[in-house]
Amino acid sequence: MRILVLEDEPLLLSQLRDRLTASGFNVDTAADGEEGLYCALEYPIDLAVIDLGLPKLSGLEVVRGVRAGGKTMPLLVLTARDRWQDKVEALQAGADDYVTKPFAFEEVLARIQALLRRSGGWASPQLQCGPVVLDTREQRVTVHGRPVELTTFEYRLLEHMMLRAGEVLSKSELTDRLYENDAERDSNTIEVFVGRLRKKLDPDETLEPIETLRGRGYRFALARESA
Amino acid sequence: MLGSTLLALLVLLGLGAAGLDASFRDLARRALRETLDAQLLALMTAAETDGSGRVAAVSTLADPRLQTPASGLYAEIRTADGIAIWRSPSMVGAGAPSQLDAAVARPGDPAEYRESSATGTPRLATLARSIRWQIDAGAAQDLVFAVSTSLDPYETQLRRFRTQLFSGLSVMSAAVLLLISLLLRRALAPLDRLEREIAAVRGGSAAALGDGYPRELAGVTTSLNALLASEQSRLQRYRDTLGDLAHSLKTPLAVMRGALAAPASATRSELEQQLTRMTDIVDRGLRRAVPSGAVGLGGAAVAVQPVAAELRLAMLRAHGQRDFSIEIAVPDTAAFAGERADLLEALGNLMDNACKWCRGTVRVAAVPDIAAPSGTRSSSAVGRWLAVRVEDDGPGWPPDWLHGQPVRGRRADERVPGHGIGLAMVADMARLYGGELRLERGATGGAIATLVLPSA
Repeated sequence: MRILVLEDEPLLLSQLRDRLTASGFNVDTAADGEEGLYCALEYPIDLAVIDLGLPKLSGLEVVRGVRAGGKTMPLLVLTARDRWQDKVEALQAGADDYVTKPFAFEEVLARIQALLRRSGGWASPQLQCGPVVLDTREQRVTVHGRPVELTTFEYRLLEHMMLRAGEVLSKSELTDRLYENDAERDSNTIEVFVGRLRKKLDPDETLEPIETLRGRGYRFALARESA
Repeated sequence: MLGSTLLALLVLLGLGAAGLDASFRDLARRALRETLDAQLLALMTAAETDGSGRVAAVSTLADPRLQTPASGLYAEIRTADGIAIWRSPSMVGAGAPSQLDAAVARPGDPAEYRESSATGTPRLATLARSIRWQIDAGAAQDLVFAVSTSLDPYETQLRRFRTQLFSGLSVMSAAVLLLISLLLRRALAPLDRLEREIAAVRGGSAAALGDGYPRELAGVTTSLNALLASEQSRLQRYRDTLGDLAHSLKTPLAVMRGALAAPASATRSELEQQLTRMTDIVDRGLRRAVPSGAVGLGGAAVAVQPVAAELRLAMLRAHGQRDFSIEIAVPDTAAFAGERADLLEALGNLMDNACKWCRGTVRVAAVPDIAAPSGTRSSSAVGRWLAVRVEDDGPGWPPDWLHGQPVRGRRADERVPGHGIGLAMVADMARLYGGELRLERGATGGAIATLVLPSA
C-alpha cells in the first residue's frame, strides 16, 4: 500500500514516514500543499495523510483539489485546531477522517488501517444493492427511499457486506471489520448485529437481504448495481 | 455639506432671476409691438388721398406725439420703391431720424418688426406693413406704412425692473442662506457629537457612546454600543484566557524541568503526564477564547439543521469505535441569530459529550420559538428564542449538576471528568448571547442538555 504524507514540520514528517514504513507501507512525502497536491493527482496513491496547516496551499485546499481531480482514495487530515468547525470543514471538503494533534502514532495507524479496509471497492460514494442504497460520504442508508437509522457498527457491517455483495463472509472476518482496534472482540455479537440489520432493512420480511450459511458465515443476497 | 448646499441655492436663484428677466423682457417687447401695431392701424385709417385717388398725406393724427418734433414717436408712408410720400411732423429736430428703418415687405405679408439705431439718434423700434392701396377699379398703389418709437422708455423700464429684481432676490437669498445655515448646523450637531464621542472611545477616554441622540441616530448609536460591548467582552476574555494559560502552564513546565533533572527511569512517565496536562490546559484555553457572542452583528440567520447534520457526520467519525446512532429532528425553520462558528462549537461540544456517554442513541432536536430565559436582561435587543436539545440514553449528569438553574461558566482549570471543559465553554457562549444552558435528567435517566439561544 502506498501512502502519501503531507506535513511541513520536518521532525513530525520524518517520524510519520519512519513509523509508517516500519508498519509495512510505501511512503511518499511532501512538505507543502502544492507539491502534495501534485503527488496525489499524479501518483497511484492508496491513502493520503494531510496536515491542514501547510504552506503554499492549505491542507483544506489540497483535499478539495484531490476530490476535484476525481481521486477517490481515503484522505486522513491532521489538525492542530481542535474546533468542531475545522473538523466539519475538513469532512465537508472531502476528507474521510481526522486526527487532532498531538496524537499517538497508534491512533493514526488504526485510522489508516480502518480507512484502507473500508475503501477497497469504492468506485463511487454510493453503494446500491436492489432497493438498499448506502451513502458512504454521509453514512446514511435508505430502503426504497425510506431512511433507515443504523448505529455505527450496524452501518459498518452493512457497508462491508454490500461491498462484498454475493460473497460468503465468515464471522471472524465480519468481527474484524466491526472492531477497528483490538479491544473487546466478541464474535457472538455478529449474530446480534445481523439480526438487528435484518429487522431494520426488512421489517416486513419481504426483501431477505442477508442469508445465513450455516457453518460458513453470511452473504448479502441482493446484487450490487454498478455505479 | 453646507458649502455645496449654499452653492446649489445660489445657482438655483441665479437661474430663477434669469428666467424672470427673460419673461419680463419678452412681455415688455410684446406690449411695445402691440402699441406700434395700433399706431400703424391708426395711421392707415387716417391716410388721405389726392384727386387721383393716391395716398398723399395724413392730416389728422390721433397721437399728439406725432405732431411734436423729436418726440420719440415717428410715422412714415413710402412707396414700394422707398420714396417717402408723407412723414410725420415729429421727424424734424435734433435727435429725430431722417427716415425710418423699415423693412421692404410685400403686400399681404405680416408686419415686420425691427430694432435699430442711426448715428446721433436713440435706438428705435420700427413696425412696418406693406399694403396694396386700391386707387380705382383698374389701378393700385403698393405702399409701406411704418411707425417707429424710441426704445429709451422700454430700456429704462427694463433697467428699473432688473434693479428691483436683483435687490429683492439678494435680500431673499441672504435670508434663505442664513436660515439654511442655521438649520443645517442644528441638524448636523448630533453627527459632530457622534464623531467626538467615537474619537473619545478610540482614544480610550470613554467606554461607550452617550444617550440623548435624535431618533434618526438612536438606532446607529445603540448598534455601535452593542458592537463595542461585544468587542470589549471578547478582548477581556482573551486577556483572561491568556492569563489563565500562562499561569496554568507554569506548573507542569516546572514539573517537567524537575523531571529532567531526575533519574532517567522516572522521566518518561512524568513527562508524558505533564504533556497531557499541558495539552488539556491549552485546549480548554482555546475553547474559552472562541465564542464571539456577536448577536445579529453582520451575520445572517444560521439554520440549525445543516449544522446538526454536519456535526452528526463528524461525531460518527470521532466516535467510530462505539456502537450508537444519532437522530436529528430539527425543523427547517429553526435558525440562530449569531455566528455560525459559535453554534458549531457549542452544539459540537454537547453532541460530543452525548456520544461519549450514550448507550446507543443520541437525539438532537430544536424548538424554534420559546419563552425568554429567566436571566434575560430587560434591555436585550433579542425578542425570540430558540431551544436546541441534545439527549442521550447514558447514565445522566452527576447529581450536583442538576440544580434546575442555568449552568454558570467555570474557571479554565476546573474539571469534571468527561464533562466540564466543553460544557463550561458552552455555558459561557450561551451567556454571551443572553441565553443559557440547562441540564436535565431524561425520562429514562439519560442526560439532556438544552441550549437556549436568540432565534433569527
